Amino acid sequence: MRLIGVDVGGTFTDLVYTDTSSNQTVINKVPTTLEDPSIGAIAGIKTLCARLNIDPGVVDHVLHGTTIATNAVLEFDGAKTGIVTNEGYRDILHIGRHQRPLNYSIMQDIPWQARPLARRRHRRVVGGRIAPPKGEVLQPLDEQAVREIAREFKAEGIEAAAVCFLFSYIDPSHEDRAKQIIEEEYPECFVTSSAQVAPQFREFERFTTAAMNAFIGPKVRDYVANFEAGLSAANLDADLHIMGSHGGAATASLVSEKPILTLLSGPAAGVLGGAWAAGLGGRDRLITFDVGGTSADIGIVIDGRFAEATARDTYIGGYPVLVPMIDIETIGAGGGSIAWVDRGGAFRVGPQSAGSRPGPAAYGHGGLKPTVTDANLVLGRLDKDHFLGGDMSLDSAAARTVIDGLAAELGLDPLETAAGILTILNSNMANAIRSRTVQKGLDPRDFALVAFGGAGPLHGAEVADMLGIPEVVVPAHPGITSAAGLLTTDLKYDAIKTEFQVQGAIDLSKLSGDFASLEADLRRQYAADGIADRDIRLSRAGDLRYLGQGYELRIEFPDGIIDAATLEEVWQAFHAGHEAEYGHVFPDSQIEIVNIRMTGVGLMPKIAAPSPRGDSAPAAARLHSGDCVFRIDGALRTFETIYYARQRLATDVPVPGPAVFVQTDTTTVVPPGWFATVETGDNMILRRGH
Amino acid sequence: MTAEPALKIRDGGARMDPVTASVIQGAMENIAVEMGHKLMRMSYSSIIRESEDFGAALTDPAGRQLCETPQSTPLQSGPIPGYIEGILQIFAERGDVLAPGDVIIHNSAYHGASHGPDVAFCVPVFVAGNLVGFSVTTAHHLDIGALSPGSCGIVDAMDAYAEGLQMKALKIYDAGRPNGPLWQMLRDNIRASDLVVGDMEAQIAAARIGADRFIDLIERYGLATVEAAYEDLMDYSERIMRDAIAALPDGRYNARTFIDGFEDSEDPARRDLPIEVTAIVAGDTITVDFAGTAPQVADRPINMPLKGTTDCAVWLTIRSILLDTAVHGHIPQNSGLTRPIKIVAPPDSLVNPTFPAPTIARFCSGNQAADTLMKALGQAVPRQISAGVGNLHVVSFSGIRATSHWVHMEIHEGCYGGRFGKDGLDAVDTLYANTRNNPIEDIESHLPLRVNRYELRDDVCPPGKWRGGIGSIREFEFTENGGVSVEGEGHVYPPWGFDGGADGHTSALIFVPNQGNSVPLPSKLPNKMARAGDKIVMVGPCGGGYGDPFERDSIRVVEDVRDGYVSIARARSDFGVVITASLELDEAETEKLRREQRSH
Repeated sequence: MRLIGVDVGGTFTDLVYTDTSSNQTVINKVPTTLEDPSIGAIAGIKTLCARLNIDPGVVDHVLHGTTIATNAVLEFDGAKTGIVTNEGYRDILHIGRHQRPLNYSIMQDIPWQARPLARRRHRRVVGGRIAPPKGEVLQPLDEQAVREIAREFKAEGIEAAAVCFLFSYIDPSHEDRAKQIIEEEYPECFVTSSAQVAPQFREFERFTTAAMNAFIGPKVRDYVANFEAGLSAANLDADLHIMGSHGGAATASLVSEKPILTLLSGPAAGVLGGAWAAGLGGRDRLITFDVGGTSADIGIVIDGRFAEATARDTYIGGYPVLVPMIDIETIGAGGGSIAWVDRGGAFRVGPQSAGSRPGPAAYGHGGLKPTVTDANLVLGRLDKDHFLGGDMSLDSAAARTVIDGLAAELGLDPLETAAGILTILNSNMANAIRSRTVQKGLDPRDFALVAFGGAGPLHGAEVADMLGIPEVVVPAHPGITSAAGLLTTDLKYDAIKTEFQVQGAIDLSKLSGDFASLEADLRRQYAADGIADRDIRLSRAGDLRYLGQGYELRIEFPDGIIDAATLEEVWQAFHAGHEAEYGHVFPDSQIEIVNIRMTGVGLMPKIAAPSPRGDSAPAAARLHSGDCVFRIDGALRTFETIYYARQRLATDVPVPGPAVFVQTDTTTVVPPGWFATVETGDNMILRRGH
Repeated sequence: MTAEPALKIRDGGARMDPVTASVIQGAMENIAVEMGHKLMRMSYSSIIRESEDFGAALTDPAGRQLCETPQSTPLQSGPIPGYIEGILQIFAERGDVLAPGDVIIHNSAYHGASHGPDVAFCVPVFVAGNLVGFSVTTAHHLDIGALSPGSCGIVDAMDAYAEGLQMKALKIYDAGRPNGPLWQMLRDNIRASDLVVGDMEAQIAAARIGADRFIDLIERYGLATVEAAYEDLMDYSERIMRDAIAALPDGRYNARTFIDGFEDSEDPARRDLPIEVTAIVAGDTITVDFAGTAPQVADRPINMPLKGTTDCAVWLTIRSILLDTAVHGHIPQNSGLTRPIKIVAPPDSLVNPTFPAPTIARFCSGNQAADTLMKALGQAVPRQISAGVGNLHVVSFSGIRATSHWVHMEIHEGCYGGRFGKDGLDAVDTLYANTRNNPIEDIESHLPLRVNRYELRDDVCPPGKWRGGIGSIREFEFTENGGVSVEGEGHVYPPWGFDGGADGHTSALIFVPNQGNSVPLPSKLPNKMARAGDKIVMVGPCGGGYGDPFERDSIRVVEDVRDGYVSIARARSDFGVVITASLELDEAETEKLRREQRSH
């Protein structure tokens, strides 16, 4: 099989080609074409094929990570969207949960009021009402009214519509029928329904998810169509798959229907890439640490599985969305983060970033604000002549000038200031990691930190030190980990149903029947994608809570028939999960099954492990030496430090810190007291001691 | 400004290097976040888990607040220093001593809690045998054993004893051992006690986590370093507040508003009660004087204790206006922020009542105090305030199934007035309240209630150059027999217009019986029986307008008409904008109409 992964970022589009039979892997990097990223991506594929001297027609799969949906939301640049909802509830999308985003603010805006996904004039109501618990129809759907609204939408130039009815997660028939009527009357319209995108309770969040799916729908659909057309024009008849926020790929046609699945496409690919790289060495309890110029993305992998965000914690652009997403903590901390003194006199780093233009002062593009990169250069941790593999040289004098300026403002020594910038940045990142580990009952000392992105390997060891993490894994190509991650994914689909069944009164046949119907849905989807039954893996889970609570915990359910004994195992697993997550358990409380879930994985071919490139002893990998500053026992000390060419170093030869490894896409810092060793899969492992 | 900060650090007398200070301060905020996160997720009753009516904070041994959870509602974390002061005072009076392993339960209205349902659990934090601080969670409980079900709408409580259990700094864990009789008394005297006790256990668990993390932090950096870091942090917050106050013109800024009180009462001392505020700005300090405010209502519970309600309302308002997060970014919330603010409240008044005057329904009065202070400050900083804010209704639904109670509380939102350059926020919690509503799909799935309607009011757009926010209508129907009680405000006095903007609209409550005619209800409703099929309609207020409506951008008026906020007729009469039947702007007619208006 021949696979190509294409990850579109804000500045560069990264491409990775792999041939699974020959284990050949080749990388390409091209500028992103912001007006239509598919143009740059297709061009990148063409040059890659030309360089490999292969006919594009032989490529089997193209896997794509895209920010097109995310940008449509963040830039509020989507379709003219209409809503059809129940009479009496026109403004659910406007009132939301009646909470202000900020406690202490008069001048704030509320995202869904200031930037409505559908304006009030386009929110139309119709008769029809379903009630819990079993979907009793209090009022039949007014089909004629729906038909008239559809015609009005057409006349008004509405481009996308979302049908949002209360309790559609119990019975979607009114939504399905209304959607069908709109499609009959106005087939050009992009139509979605709330139960189709997020069949679970909480109307504001579900309606918002549906409205957002409509808002971004036409744009993503057109983008995917363009991409496919571009592939055809380049003589590629490869299947196009797109990375979803949940860490699996989906077919182009599914993404065209549910673009909302791709909101965290790029960062999810990063977590996958980090997990894949570290997994080559057998590690499967991981903290992925993807640090670029402006932000750090942190993900958690346990036993090779990604932590998923709870439905109540998933927001984009301030709007809540109810779709499965990998739990990724993003903070404004990266190489371009600006260090500053706020008006109260406190020393801060980030979240503002100098970006790539003007960028850090060290870039020599006229940047005047001190950044993390400037601090790293002043401390000797970046090699001014080997930044990005020598493609760019850094301006030490400019970096020193901005750090001196900040030092004067703070009344600190310049080296203390530069080291302080790193300490504050690293501590912000360590706090973000704590929020995903310690606060959830996980001990970070049981994990390895996978450091990648342009700046991850610069900071990995010191952040690990703050948390007591024993090992840092630096993948072979930290700069293209996301693109490689695309080639490690499977076709992943989720199905969900709200149950509201309570311990002691569980309807076992309904529960089994509902699982069976979720399974049938998934199998149908895989059959449509041409995935053989033997390549499908299904797993069950439930969202459970103590009756009366408002937040659920995800608990695995066993396969097969569900009976009293298997349920008892589920209850015990919930108690244990609650204890682990919150440090407390309510043994006498009843448990409620809120949602059941089924996750399907359709196996896809994957990228093979890279072979180590180097065969040199450390002495032969050495480039030169210079001064590098580290804090030892509270005091700053300058060490004579050797700079190595990372790709030359042979496997299994530990190199003691202080040391700096340079390569085309990143720099790895090994502090005093740490050792670096290249191991299986061409990963470099940093360890404290011995 | 740019050259000053370095000087400030030296002038501010920083105790430690700014790097370590920044690291420790970040770690403390992280602790408070974790406490709030866990409490919210573990708790049972919707008032905590959905409405987020809870708080979590760490304090020093004297009760000074070091950090608070950002998830909390301001009226919960804000009073925590007062709780600790109250506990310390009671302990001193009784000669009691704190020990490791203790957990203190406390809800005394006149010792920081300000009303009984907000129960605090305080874990004293010891390191090497010395008290180094407190880890505290507070939360609004569904029921606290008052005279009628639920913990809101107890509007006929005639003194503090009628409001439910008073727990004055009691050890619910004594050196690690649970106080069995006290737990039993809670279970025996509180309705829906499974839920309430579950929430209390969740509060204790979250407070203990905070204590553990605080100990870890001290063990890592040393007590002296942590103390220096939080002293610097408080100085920092104080400095920012002083700078903000110093930027105001010195002067006295006075305003007065009224609350309904008991609009249906024959006793004039219970209704139409003034709240008066004079804000005196002098240099970098501000004094907020409530002289002119009505005397306390000695036998009805709308009085606001100075500590825990009045003070929080003042702090919240000043902070939201002068250090608006949307403008100034995140500023650490701690006791340093309140140092430059002095509050003067006449004794035995609505804003400083004396025990045993009842206080359980002081929520809306306090929000009105905040609104009145904003009205006063509007004279100093007209571009940083909103016109009059719509107040809230707190509603308790209850009933009995078999032998046990169900209780459900809802806060029905208000909205904001117009602001300089921006319309008011529609249908949202206001000022010191910032809770969340309950999903209709959750309510109907778990309670014998149905929500028949939830949307904005029609054609009530308060005129202004920037219009007031629009309130919502929420209609509940009982599907079984039960009861309802309400504490609300704003039925009589509409939110004030500002600088030529019109006043907003009052709120209302309507009872629609299954059979018979609808009846309006007062804003204070003691428990009222309801039968299956009976409905309660809550009509939210609309905020005041800001600026002359005839100066409103006519395009925005057209947009409001298209969105159904304003009728064509009102666009003409209230805004001087002429709109055609096809919803287009008639520019010539509009200009003419507006010119005529100006010449009058």
